[in-house]
Amino acid sequence: MTYTILGRCQRTGRLGIGIATFSITVGRYCYGVKSMTGVTVSQAFANERNNALALRLLAQGFGAGSVLSQLMANDRYFDYRQIGVIDRSGTSAAYTGPRTLGWSGHVTGDNHVAFGNGLVGPEVADAIAAGFMAKPDADLEHRLLMGIEAGRDAGGQGTRQEHKAERSAALRVYSQHPYADIDLRVDLHATAVEELRRVWSEYKKYETYYRDRERNPRGAIGQEAFMATLRAAEA
Amino acid sequence: MTYSIIARCPHTGRLGLGIATFSIGVGGRCEGILAGVGICKTQAYTNRGNDPLAIELLAQGFGPAHVLRMLEQNDPNHDYRQIAIVDREGNGAAHTGAGTRPWSGHKIGAGYVAFGNVLAGPQVIEAIAAGFMNEPEEALELRLLAALEGGRKAGGQVGAEGHLIERSAAVRVVADPDYPDIDVRVDLHDDAVAELRRVLEEFKRYEVFYRERGRDPSTAITQAQFVARLEGRA
Repeated sequence: MTYTILGRCQRTGRLGIGIATFSITVGRYCYGVKSMTGVTVSQAFANERNNALALRLLAQGFGAGSVLSQLMANDRYFDYRQIGVIDRSGTSAAYTGPRTLGWSGHVTGDNHVAFGNGLVGPEVADAIAAGFMAKPDADLEHRLLMGIEAGRDAGGQGTRQEHKAERSAALRVYSQHPYADIDLRVDLHATAVEELRRVWSEYKKYETYYRDRERNPRGAIGQEAFMATLRAAEA
Repeated sequence: MTYSIIARCPHTGRLGLGIATFSIGVGGRCEGILAGVGICKTQAYTNRGNDPLAIELLAQGFGPAHVLRMLEQNDPNHDYRQIAIVDREGNGAAHTGAGTRPWSGHKIGAGYVAFGNVLAGPQVIEAIAAGFMNEPEEALELRLLAALEGGRKAGGQVGAEGHLIERSAAVRVVADPDYPDIDVRVDLHDDAVAELRRVLEEFKRYEVFYRERGRDPSTAITQAQFVARLEGRA
């Protein structure tokens, strides 16, 4: 029981993941994203080696469809897996094994994959894709978050009789650096998607400050002084 | 305003990092750790390029002291950085730049480096080291968390306007280059170290279940069944 959006920004080439699930600390499964390389998540009964292997294949130059085929051919339990892949050109591929639980499925398009398992129904995957596509000119991390929120609003995980809580969620975006642009997580919370929106909203206030003090420490003010300017601006 | 510990487990060779700070989402700035290679964490006025670069250099076979010199040579603002490195053998090196905000400093011990800036004083670093060494037979992730708790108890961060709360914290431990062993985070909270203990303890209950259901799904029970067992309902 997990729902996920993989996205590539068609303007900037940035790559990212948005994810929410019942399992705790889902962000630890979200290292399958790398600058100028691609993005992938393996979920359901996840194969712990898939993400690293897929990134290596993407770095070698294989396209999303070929990477997916190779992961399946390499895995005796592939019918339990759910996998999404986008390569650096924006081509996407996805697979939902027949032995994943509950309603499970995926929606693929240029620059995105919306997929999940243990969901209320196909309307959740459709809503995630629609949420992601709603504002194509917004920042990728914002679009990914809107995708996840739309999935939640369409019923999310569980059944039509009983909703399954999102206990963890994560948002990761890479641009040209060997480190993430955006890397935010909620590991254990009763409403992790709402909490991720809160963390993201707060982080956005600091994003430029954090980046600039790293690049130019000589001109930087202290974080307490920066927060005073935030409070003054909000007053 | 950050305190951290990086360490190698002498029993298993696992590598780990524990960190707590006033800034938001600090776990998202901890990519400098690779199984079988080493750990590097740059903080204070951090240079985000340092940690991935240091991992590349450690992977090439350079030792921590030499990697540190290469980072210095590469960075015009090196004196504003605080950097700690532990390699795959547990050798440590550290740098606390003169431009970091006081009190700042580090302690290099056997298989670990404890370091921080904008702290109450050197007693915080000593307490981090003592917390780490308190139960040397424990799992690395628990030793790292005990180190952070030691640092917090000794006064933690103190800025221009007094004590600063820990708003984010993280513990990461790696044993395999493909995925983290332990990777728990708190990104925005009023007492992030205490919340991190809650998350880590909860994760430890699920750790084996999460690992085994992926390795052999054909024999896995559902998470609903597992949770029912945890709660004594089945």
